[in-house]
Amino acid sequence: MDFPTEIIGEKAYIRVTSDLDTEVAGEALRSAFNDMYDQGKRTIVLDLSGAQIINSYGIGKVLMCYKRLKAENGVLMVKPLSGFVKETFELLMLDKLLPEDKDR
Amino acid sequence: MSVASTPPSILLADGDAHSREVFGSFFERRGWQYDVIPDSRLLGAALDKSPYDIVIADVALPGVDSLQMLQDVLRKHPSQAIIALSKDASYDEALSFFRSGATDLLARPIDFLWLERIVQQVVCSRRHEERERISYGFVTSERTEMRFSCRDIIELDTVPLPIVGRLQAIGALDQHEAIRVRLAVQEAVLNALEHGNLRLESRWKEELQPGGEDRFTALRRERLLDPSYAGLAIFVTVLYQDGMLEIEVKDEGQGFLNAPASAAPRKSHDVPCSGRGLALMSSAVDEVVFGKNGSEVTLRKATKRVRSA
Repeated sequence: MDFPTEIIGEKAYIRVTSDLDTEVAGEALRSAFNDMYDQGKRTIVLDLSGAQIINSYGIGKVLMCYKRLKAENGVLMVKPLSGFVKETFELLMLDKLLPEDKDR
Repeated sequence: MSVASTPPSILLADGDAHSREVFGSFFERRGWQYDVIPDSRLLGAALDKSPYDIVIADVALPGVDSLQMLQDVLRKHPSQAIIALSKDASYDEALSFFRSGATDLLARPIDFLWLERIVQQVVCSRRHEERERISYGFVTSERTEMRFSCRDIIELDTVPLPIVGRLQAIGALDQHEAIRVRLAVQEAVLNALEHGNLRLESRWKEELQPGGEDRFTALRRERLLDPSYAGLAIFVTVLYQDGMLEIEVKDEGQGFLNAPASAAPRKSHDVPCSGRGLALMSSAVDEVVFGKNGSEVTLRKATKRVRSA
């Protein structure tokens, strides 16, 4: 499983195309993130519209991305969320941590 | 109309306009109910709106991972019968579709006699399940015990909980509650696997290794290959009685409440990568009770009272 990535200007976009609740999906996120990070991108946007479910495993992977960027004064953003993923982010107050990208 | 005599309901997802017409004409001649969407990628949204006995979906879509698409649909609608429609699937591809949960694979050009036979078989089986669900309205208690190895848990992603589907079918749980209960159990099982049997410590998630992988993930992979860890079992007991759903998850570890706390002082702006499973569990059920230092957890969820039909 690979998550597609795209670079537009200074921002790198990762499109999460499956639920984020398995080892396979977590590894796909890590791999896509590493690819963008190694290219020097420090503003990375996660598009989670393709995920209907996220669990603590997936959240851990998202937070790992957040911490790596924060350590280098970068920022992890999310496209506007919806449904269960939005509910989960709000429950865990991650919506306060990860700003929304409304550019595209 | 009785359950037994209800005609099949079919959702056809096919990008070929001519093919849609041919299918439509066949369905009408048989008196089957059907809806049509022009793209299999819209399946998830269509099924969210309305249930169907059978989905017939074109899986030969250029640039689309059809297997993944199928798995995503089945993850959300696990009992959905899906007939995959393909032009020339190889033996290996056909096998992959079956492994992903497809009910059958239909090759173009369509053998409609064969299609009719598959539909009748699926509908017969589904009507039987529906009758069972209705009769389940009279059932007031059920107990199921399951045992999984660590490898089972990884391969299954989650544990089967047919009771949750049945409670949803009779209206004792709504769809949202059913999803959250399944997730809460997934969290409890994940906890039993990682912190129980594999004895992984949350603080290792903060220790990054070269390549961006954390120590927790690396050790998790390593220990899943080590029989002294991976050979330990996880026991799941599901009890439904008097409107209360109770799910107990036990591991064979020493209990995560025995794990040493992180020695490193945490800065106030630090955000730990762990510790959210409990919050997700607590939000999904009415009660979460830990026993034996965390090597046992019981989740309790009161269901709605449903008047028996």
